[in-house]
Amino acid sequence: MMSATPILSLILLAPLLGALSLVFMPRHEVTWVRRVSVAATLFPLILSIGLLLGYDVSVGGFQFLEKYPWVPSLGISFQVGVDGINVVLVLLHAICAFTGVLISYAIPVRVKEYYIFYLLLITGVFGVFTSLDLFFFYFFYEMAVIPMYPLIGIWGSGDKEYAGMKLTLYLTAGAVLGLVGLLIVYFRTAPGGTPTFDFLAIQQGTFANPIPAPLQRFVFPFLLVGFGVMAPMWPFHSWSPIGHAAAPSAVSMLHAGVLMKLGSYAILRLAISILPAGAMYWLPWVALLALMNIIYGGFVAMAQKDMKFIIGYSSSSHMGYVLLGLAVLTPMGVTGAVLLMFAHGIMTALAFALIGFVYDRAHTRMVSELGGLAKAMPFVAFAFVVMAMASSGLPGLGNFAAEVIIFFSAWEKYPVHTILAVFGVIITTVYMLRMVRGVFFGEISSRFVKLEDAQTPFDRMPYAILMVVLLVIGVWPTLLLKPIQKGATELLSHPTFATESRFVEVPPSESEGHP
Amino acid sequence: MIIHWPLLGFELGILCTAIFVLVADLIIPSERKEFLGYAAAIGIAFSTMYHAGFSGGFGSLFGGVFVLDPFSWFFKFIFAMAAFVAVLMSWHYVERLERGRGEFFLLLLLSTLGMGLLVSARDFLLLFVALELMTISFYVMTAYLRMEPTSVEAGLKYLILGGLASATLVMGMAFLYGATGSTQFADIQKSTNILSPLATLGFLFVAAALLFKVAAFPFHFWVPDVYEGAPTPVSAFLSVGSKAAAFGVFVRILVEAVPGVDNVLLMILSGLAALTVVYGNLVAMPQTNTKRLLAYSSIGHAGYLLMGLATGSALGLQGIVFYLLAYAFANLGAWLVFFLVEENTGDAGLVSFAGLSKRSPLLAAVMFVSLLSLAGAPPLAGFFGKFVILLSVVQRGYLWLAIIGAMMIIVSLYYYLLVVKRMYLEEPKDQAPFPVTLAMRVVMVVLVIGTVGMGIYQEPFLTSAQAAVRALFGG
Repeated sequence: MMSATPILSLILLAPLLGALSLVFMPRHEVTWVRRVSVAATLFPLILSIGLLLGYDVSVGGFQFLEKYPWVPSLGISFQVGVDGINVVLVLLHAICAFTGVLISYAIPVRVKEYYIFYLLLITGVFGVFTSLDLFFFYFFYEMAVIPMYPLIGIWGSGDKEYAGMKLTLYLTAGAVLGLVGLLIVYFRTAPGGTPTFDFLAIQQGTFANPIPAPLQRFVFPFLLVGFGVMAPMWPFHSWSPIGHAAAPSAVSMLHAGVLMKLGSYAILRLAISILPAGAMYWLPWVALLALMNIIYGGFVAMAQKDMKFIIGYSSSSHMGYVLLGLAVLTPMGVTGAVLLMFAHGIMTALAFALIGFVYDRAHTRMVSELGGLAKAMPFVAFAFVVMAMASSGLPGLGNFAAEVIIFFSAWEKYPVHTILAVFGVIITTVYMLRMVRGVFFGEISSRFVKLEDAQTPFDRMPYAILMVVLLVIGVWPTLLLKPIQKGATELLSHPTFATESRFVEVPPSESEGHP
Repeated sequence: MIIHWPLLGFELGILCTAIFVLVADLIIPSERKEFLGYAAAIGIAFSTMYHAGFSGGFGSLFGGVFVLDPFSWFFKFIFAMAAFVAVLMSWHYVERLERGRGEFFLLLLLSTLGMGLLVSARDFLLLFVALELMTISFYVMTAYLRMEPTSVEAGLKYLILGGLASATLVMGMAFLYGATGSTQFADIQKSTNILSPLATLGFLFVAAALLFKVAAFPFHFWVPDVYEGAPTPVSAFLSVGSKAAAFGVFVRILVEAVPGVDNVLLMILSGLAALTVVYGNLVAMPQTNTKRLLAYSSIGHAGYLLMGLATGSALGLQGIVFYLLAYAFANLGAWLVFFLVEENTGDAGLVSFAGLSKRSPLLAAVMFVSLLSLAGAPPLAGFFGKFVILLSVVQRGYLWLAIIGAMMIIVSLYYYLLVVKRMYLEEPKDQAPFPVTLAMRVVMVVLVIGTVGMGIYQEPFLTSAQAAVRALFGG
């Protein structure tokens, strides 16, 4: 379905033009720099809501398509479009980006440069979630990685230089590995013809003319490990907690909230849908790694003393559920995984925003040094408790529905994994409650009594938006589930996946054959 | 014989400028020599404009010895750009020289002339003369700071090793002539004797000489010392112009003189490409002197370009042509910023970049964009260059080489980001802003626009690169 107005291009261009206009703006006009940034993210947010409402689930498939030939001789075209899965992820990113810009009002120095890099980062992520061309997918993916270095290095805290460098190099290493995998795929897209980077054409090609299974098994690890670094899949996760801890709060929000989802999205969209046979071969191992994420990440989070590190490890632990959902390879599992990407993105963005708020005022993030902050900042404490409840998977908030769907779908295929993974929820509850108690309840230290809460409605707005979203998807998950389910079903419609489900129901003839 | 002079337009323009500078140098008093710099810049600009507007149909001259085809047409823009930036840097630079200010511009122009002839050569004799014209001018320019031991040492080192390479080249030419009875590329390729051991040996000798010029491992030893010792405008010109010229002639020989697809030669090249890219990038990491850093990184880039060469495919060669233009934009930008920083702080170390973003946001931004393009980060030109090269390597089936190339992107990103770190994260020792002349600003902005533009809208540049390579294959 071709659309009349190029909505997706507008979503993509708004932050880019914002960044470009900031370049030519005098650096002392801080107010205007902020206004332009707010406008450059508010506009895509409105459009993304329109996108979700305008997406016709009954028709399905990729909608709002736009295609402009870019480098025809190499089969590169600028093609954007969204299916049920992307619609939800674009919305997630738009929400996080907008609230992130509001949170960034706390950035004290070099405001103009900060927003230029921040808006470039936002553009890159929008690009990844909308591109339907492998070249542009990679283009935007890497474009989202590079601005992280200055963002963490200049405006971060703690061991920021090391963290920024480690993060950038890790993610680039993953990206280039994924790129090599994509290039191998590229040359198999059109046997005898001009190969293409057009994702839709490649996907159709997998039906008519599938890539040989041994090759799929060979290429799949390139994409899995390459993009899995961003996911962050154990044992390639070590960049993420230090990266989150060192980044300024708005960057951590985007990073844990959205960027990590780029990894799992890339595995889903590219690796699984183009290489179904490779996915069937490798995903049981992914399930195992996902379990490591959940349990190992959870235990490490428990041992942390810095609030940002707790959330950082908790993020990599929660992303384990997403990977587990993907590894199930059923529409239901993928649906749960995508819903969790959304819910976790909002939840973790809220967490980092709140921690940033506390840190800006108390100048410490150590749980042991804080305490009783609920007396000084009741609103923030309330928001934090909501976040902690969502994170622990309490019914009524976003994560619950997603995690339940993942566990239900995983039970058939990986019962042992599922039991252990449910145990991970208990771990989450333990460290979340411990943090809430340590930071917001108990005796308040005299040096924190005078700390100010978020006072004005404008200050409270970003937190309120994120809480409302968590609540809405908690009580009405169908809003997102419908498009996601449609997208997941279509994504797994390749006949290879169908043979798999027959394989699982152990055929009776086989048991008869072995008396 | 009728000579169609417009084909030689670019070379003639440069030659006329050179003669003008030579004569004017005798008249103009020594404190007004910057006038010669203006003249050189204007001469290069007009030659390039004529070259850009050239539409009289491509063709060859002197019985096929000299050719202007889309391939050489494209390359001459790179030389002109590099020469222009080098002349611009030298405007003020020559003031510190006691003697020979005027000749400096003359030598710059003559080496540009050599580059122009080199990529147009279809005969080993013209190739040799052009190469020597370029290289001998560089020997002199490298040793131009006569009172500084490093400069003299660099010049001497370059002279001796360069002389050795020239000797190798002559030897190779002699073998090829002995085997095939001709010095023209086309005749050599068609010769029945082309597969004889003598001819193979000849090709290997020629290849060794060219590998020296492109600074490939293990023929790279001169590069760091020469770049460090030479006057900075010369290093910049050397790293862009000389490298592009050498790759241009390498590509032409591979397509027009070497018979068919010589798998042995390509295997050797792919091995050397891997070694070069690994060596250049790994050794660049610990460098603390900016010139040496850029020197080793340029060895790394030579490795990527050799990868494209090692595929021997049209796609790989297109990648080389695109990559060289992208490299020229980014590398000239980086050298220009470094030049200004060195002029202002008097220090060639990386420490002089500390806090540059506060002292001059423009310089820091230009350096940031240039370095990231060199590292191959989208949406910049260097990214697409590396992309096409890796694409061609995967197409050829050298998966191991593609993985090595991809991994070295990370290493290069590391050391380029270290410079970014100094510029943006560290505090400046001295808060005084840098004076940057208007001409410099304009050139830097143009270079950045080139880097970003080529990175986002790749199509026209890739189309030119395709036309250039198609011309070589005679299509």
